[in-house]
Amino acid sequence: MTTTVKPLTAPVLPDQEELIQRLLSDTPLLVDTQDHLVQVVNVLETYGIVLDAYSKNLVDQGEKQLLNPFPIFRFFHEGLTPKRLWDHLLGDRINFEYAEYCQKAMFWHGTGGLDAYLDSEPFQDVCQRIIQRKAQRDPLLALTNKLYPGFAPESIRSLTTIYCLGLFWRVMSDLFVDLARRYAIKEVTCVNDVVHHIRDGLVAAAANPITYEVDVAGEKIWVLPPDAGLTFLVDVAVPYVEAVFFRGMPFLGTVSYNAQARQISPDISDFKYGALYADPIPSMGAGIPPSLCMKDMFRHLPEELSRWYDDHGRGQVDVHVQICVSFQKSMFCVTNGAIAGTMPHSLDTSDADEQAANRAYADAWSGRLMGCQRGALLAAD
Amino acid sequence: MLLSLLLIIPFTGALGLLLWPTAQSSERIRIGAIVILAVQCVASFAVLLPFDPTDAALQLVEKVRWVHSIGLDYALGVDGLSLPLVLMNAVLCLVAAVASRSIENRPRIYFALLLVISGAVNGAFLSQNLLLFFLFYELELIPLWLLIAVWGGANRSYAATKFLIVTAVSGMLILGAFLGLAFVTGTMDFSLRPILSGELGLPAQFLLMGALLIGFGIKIPLFPFHTWLPDAHTEASTPVSVLLAGVLLKLGTYGLLRFCLGLFPEAWQLAAPWLAGWAAISVLYGSLAAIAQTDMKRMVAYSSVGHMGYVLLAAAAATPLGLMGALFQMISHGLISGVLFLLVGVVYARTGTRDLNVLRGLLNPERGLPLTGSLMIIGVMASAGIPGMAGFISEFLIFRGSFQPFPVATLLSMVGSGLTAVYFLLLVNRAFFGRLAIAPGEVVNPRILDRVALREQVPAIALSLGVLALGLAPELLSNLSEAATTGLSQLSGGLS
Amino acid sequence: MIPLYGFIAMLVSLPWAAGLFRRVAHRPAAYLNILLTLLAFAHGSLILQEVFQSGPVDLSYPWLTVADLELDISFSLSLTNLVALELITGLSLFSQVYSLGYMDKEWALARFFALLGFFEGAMSGVVLSDSLFQSYFLLEMLTLSTYLLVGFWYAQPLVITAARDAFLTKRVGDVLLLMGVVALCSFAGGMGFNDLYAWAATDSLSPLAATLLGLGLIAGPTGKCAQFPMHLWLDEAMEGPNPASILRNSVVVTCGAIVLLKVMPILQHSPVALTVLLVIGSISAIGGSLVALAQVDIKRTMSYSTTAHLGLVFIAIALQIPVLALLLLFSHAVSKALLSMSIGGVIAATNCQDITELGGLGSRMPATTTSFLIGGAGLVGFLPLGGFLAFAQSIELLSVRSIPFMAVFLITNALTALGLVRVFRHVFLGDALIKSRRAAEVNWQMALPMVALCVVVLLTPVLLVRLESLDGLLAFPLWAAGLVVGSGLIGLLAGALIPLSKAWSRSLNPLLRWFQDLLAYDFYTERFYRLTIVNVVAGFSQLAAWFDRNVVDGVLHGVARFSVQSAEGLKLSVSGQTQSYVLTVLVAIVLFLTAVSWFLT
Repeated sequence: MTTTVKPLTAPVLPDQEELIQRLLSDTPLLVDTQDHLVQVVNVLETYGIVLDAYSKNLVDQGEKQLLNPFPIFRFFHEGLTPKRLWDHLLGDRINFEYAEYCQKAMFWHGTGGLDAYLDSEPFQDVCQRIIQRKAQRDPLLALTNKLYPGFAPESIRSLTTIYCLGLFWRVMSDLFVDLARRYAIKEVTCVNDVVHHIRDGLVAAAANPITYEVDVAGEKIWVLPPDAGLTFLVDVAVPYVEAVFFRGMPFLGTVSYNAQARQISPDISDFKYGALYADPIPSMGAGIPPSLCMKDMFRHLPEELSRWYDDHGRGQVDVHVQICVSFQKSMFCVTNGAIAGTMPHSLDTSDADEQAANRAYADAWSGRLMGCQRGALLAAD
Repeated sequence: MLLSLLLIIPFTGALGLLLWPTAQSSERIRIGAIVILAVQCVASFAVLLPFDPTDAALQLVEKVRWVHSIGLDYALGVDGLSLPLVLMNAVLCLVAAVASRSIENRPRIYFALLLVISGAVNGAFLSQNLLLFFLFYELELIPLWLLIAVWGGANRSYAATKFLIVTAVSGMLILGAFLGLAFVTGTMDFSLRPILSGELGLPAQFLLMGALLIGFGIKIPLFPFHTWLPDAHTEASTPVSVLLAGVLLKLGTYGLLRFCLGLFPEAWQLAAPWLAGWAAISVLYGSLAAIAQTDMKRMVAYSSVGHMGYVLLAAAAATPLGLMGALFQMISHGLISGVLFLLVGVVYARTGTRDLNVLRGLLNPERGLPLTGSLMIIGVMASAGIPGMAGFISEFLIFRGSFQPFPVATLLSMVGSGLTAVYFLLLVNRAFFGRLAIAPGEVVNPRILDRVALREQVPAIALSLGVLALGLAPELLSNLSEAATTGLSQLSGGLS
Repeated sequence: MIPLYGFIAMLVSLPWAAGLFRRVAHRPAAYLNILLTLLAFAHGSLILQEVFQSGPVDLSYPWLTVADLELDISFSLSLTNLVALELITGLSLFSQVYSLGYMDKEWALARFFALLGFFEGAMSGVVLSDSLFQSYFLLEMLTLSTYLLVGFWYAQPLVITAARDAFLTKRVGDVLLLMGVVALCSFAGGMGFNDLYAWAATDSLSPLAATLLGLGLIAGPTGKCAQFPMHLWLDEAMEGPNPASILRNSVVVTCGAIVLLKVMPILQHSPVALTVLLVIGSISAIGGSLVALAQVDIKRTMSYSTTAHLGLVFIAIALQIPVLALLLLFSHAVSKALLSMSIGGVIAATNCQDITELGGLGSRMPATTTSFLIGGAGLVGFLPLGGFLAFAQSIELLSVRSIPFMAVFLITNALTALGLVRVFRHVFLGDALIKSRRAAEVNWQMALPMVALCVVVLLTPVLLVRLESLDGLLAFPLWAAGLVVGSGLIGLLAGALIPLSKAWSRSLNPLLRWFQDLLAYDFYTERFYRLTIVNVVAGFSQLAAWFDRNVVDGVLHGVARFSVQSAEGLKLSVSGQTQSYVLTVLVAIVLFLTAVSWFLT
């Protein structure tokens, strides 16, 4: 039997020192090539459009679906018309299930300030107030609350995360769409410009307050009051990055949940199933939830990127896998921007202590990045 | 005249292709061959119109005196046994031509040889004269040998030589037996019917039948005469493998039924228990050897050894039901192995390997070969005898038909049927399930997996539909052939 | 007609599964499937009404007639069969709606639903089938669809082995069953159950043949019902998607048992087969319950308890008490489906199947917790649910036939109760551990079928009493009820009182730990099989391959070398080969003819 052996030379991945150097010298993690720029900007544009829809929907859910046992029409934030219902049934729509999946990851991993606040005394009190008020008109809730007192507060916690994720994605969506605008007028011309754009956007939004007010039977109740002091970057963005980019949740399509096989770590802080670790090849296969997101992005793929894909890989046949590859690259850029934005000190500082602090910070991040799909940083493909 | 047409179309077609002055590109020649084979296909199915399925006798008989002095006459006829095989030959040759894409090396000769094979096989199935049968039987051999030796894989000369020598021995034994028969009976009449009634002593019957058995046993192939087959398959190109497994092996089983059983019913009856044992060994041996294979094509080839063993089992029992099962098995094996070889061919063309230790995760929806994988699952399940597909009906009929005379051999063969599931499941699980392999140093890189166009899969899809159709509506075939198989069974006194 | 709905559902899903629509999601296939299942259920109810009033109907269409073989497509629309059909279509409907929620992030939904449709069609056909051939035909289709459903997440490594083992284990059973079917077909002629019963009443088979036949016939259902020694696959099949596990744990095993019920009259002539059935049933019941106790994987605790309950059904069938078998099957199917749904809820909310890593979910997940409680109560002999009725009836019937088997029933009941309480304490009570710290109730597509099925389980006693229309169903003596409730309470108390430790889920006592591991790894059955059967087959196949390469080919090469040397022509050119071929043929023919003439004269 003959086999055409085509050994691939293993690509040289950037080592940790290289990553630290890139972080400290204002060099993007991603190799700065035109191909990368085309992929990253365009994928972020389509992602921005998708996030816009996700965000609107999550915010709308947060406002309207409080303790609704059958949120059947929760995906119709644009209003319910026969045409929309028909498209919805046909599946000709954005897959909001993926947004909920990200929310679940964030909620379940539960890190950061928002999560801590969900366990605080004031939050418990608000929950009780909401439940009391709502139960007056809702005997089912009253009964459930009596039998299962943990249920309603947990639902409110979950909905709060939904709402906050909606707020977070609002900012990111605008940021990404704006990036595409600046790319179109040639203000962004290299990958480093992309990183800077994201860094500046995150820094600008860092202190935005995160608040949440709901209408319960006519009464406005603050779930996350302004005096809770929750802010955009630290309390929502960082936990999101932690939950979705790094930890993630194991995909049923690639990992066994069998307890005796022990494939999944008992410690969820060890999880390495996030976007930066993911393997793009199985995209669109069974049991891979991000396939939904790839599909959504495919619906809004910019012309330029679509043509670029025609000439790469298997063309339109494996376009979703190619989107996934580009998406992972762009997520490295976003992470890169986030790290740059949260550097303890300015990169051009001459103070030795400040330099050491920066280096320690870059060191910590690069350590985590080492386990990621560093192949995505390379120019190949 | 209709039957002669089935010879005239391919042979003149082959000549026409060779002499076609304006055809330069291989694509045009291929289309020419496809047209000729399609016409042949129509003509073959046209035989169904005048054919009377309730009549066990030969029909549409054509007889022309030829070299009468040595007993060689041009005599054609068709019955319920040969008609389905003729139809399958027409279909599979068409499929092979359709699947023969991008033949750059002397396409003219390639397609001409394909047509010659088609015509020769038709001739063998239709001829009613022993010498004429032998002529066609040998005629098909040379083109096939050339197809392997010229258009085959890297190790083709070894495989082709092996094929040639071994099947030549088969031909010699058959011719020897035929001549011996004439010798012994003292007539020089080789037409099928008179010989049938010839009274022979048992020792002579055994000797002649033994020669025929080994001759056809090589062709079928049965253990221990089978090793040429995996080698030939591995080196043959995909369309040639389809023909080899689908049509040419059937010459062996057809000969077994028509000549061994048909000419020597008495000796056959006495030898039957031994033959059943031989069948069970062949089934088990083929299945076990298939499990150990790591080359997909070799695995499919060994599965043929196992599955053709069922035909010998049924022939040994010679019950009406068993013989119907044997015919069913010939047809369903032809279609199923056609599907499997086509799909293995697609995998090989895309990945450059058939090694089950290397291939992984080909079901991957965008970078893999998902349609190929899905069809492969249908193919292997049909081969493993899952109901709803043709393989099950044939196995059930064979087992049911053979159980009463030979319970032990039948049960052992059923174990073989279980083993089929084992190796084919290994094939699907290894090559198609799992994560698509791309680790550096491994052979397969999904980036070289080109897209498989739907039209490339049309032959496999068509054959799969045929497999399903026969599996769900077996009367399509059984109505056609019941009279003939029952007649054949009565001939041997029916052991039931 | 009703099985066709399932198959049609599969066909209509195919366009989506094949990826013909690139822009839209695969969900329409799911909706169409649900619609068709609903139609199947409604159609079934109509027929059930009719049959209820005017008695059973048999339908038969000729399929294949060859020589002396006649195979029909035949359905028996009896009350029992239709109830089983309604059970299947009903639970299919529930689990399909449930899938919409459980698999809402699944892109390959159309393929999944196509497989579910195929699955449902095959099961519906099995229960309605009126011929052994047809039952076999559909059981094999069920094997295929189980393989494809378990293998749904084909890229996951353990799924690959699980799908393989599920297929091969069932296939072993099926081949043995096929042997039985072929033998029976040869002996009896016809394949309709009524013909077979008539033949069985008059036959005169030798005891050996009858025994072998009986063993062949029980092998298929043993594989399908995941009974010892063919139970491994159900454990591994838990790698598949949960909605399919729901069906597998409830109705697939029921199908296998119903086929066994249908061949029961034929088994009467084989005391050995009946004894084997009893042994299989008892080992599965007790062993399965014990193994379930040692599992830390939540899905596997359920799958072994399925094995255990079906063991009881096997005992009932072996003792020729079909009513009891049906009662057990029905009450088990609905309760187990509910339990499996609840477990799916836990997994969906926590991404975890390890019960030692969970805890404290009880107060936060009302639908899931309620389902677990009601499902568990319906499974064990909890007054007055279906399980209780079935158990009480069993105790009464068994007390006059066989006291030891009555004990098996009671022990199984106690062990099941113990296991359920253990799981409940681990998962729903106690402190919330890291993986269950944040777990909201599942989405409504999952919660709705759970709640609906809760109602069904609660209504089971009413349904049973009405359908069986047996006054006898409620007429069990008080002591029987006492025994059932007592055994359940013992299990309950034991479960409530044993110390549970998360960190030390393995005992420190070496003997106890050995025993625990023995159970946790299912008596090391898998390892045993690998060492024996798998090795034997692999060894023989290597031997065959070696024999091929060395002996067969070796002889061939030797002969070839000899002839090449003597003919000196075979290694030349292409034309040289042809010439020498012709030459060899001629020489050989002459030699042969000489030999023949010499020999014969």
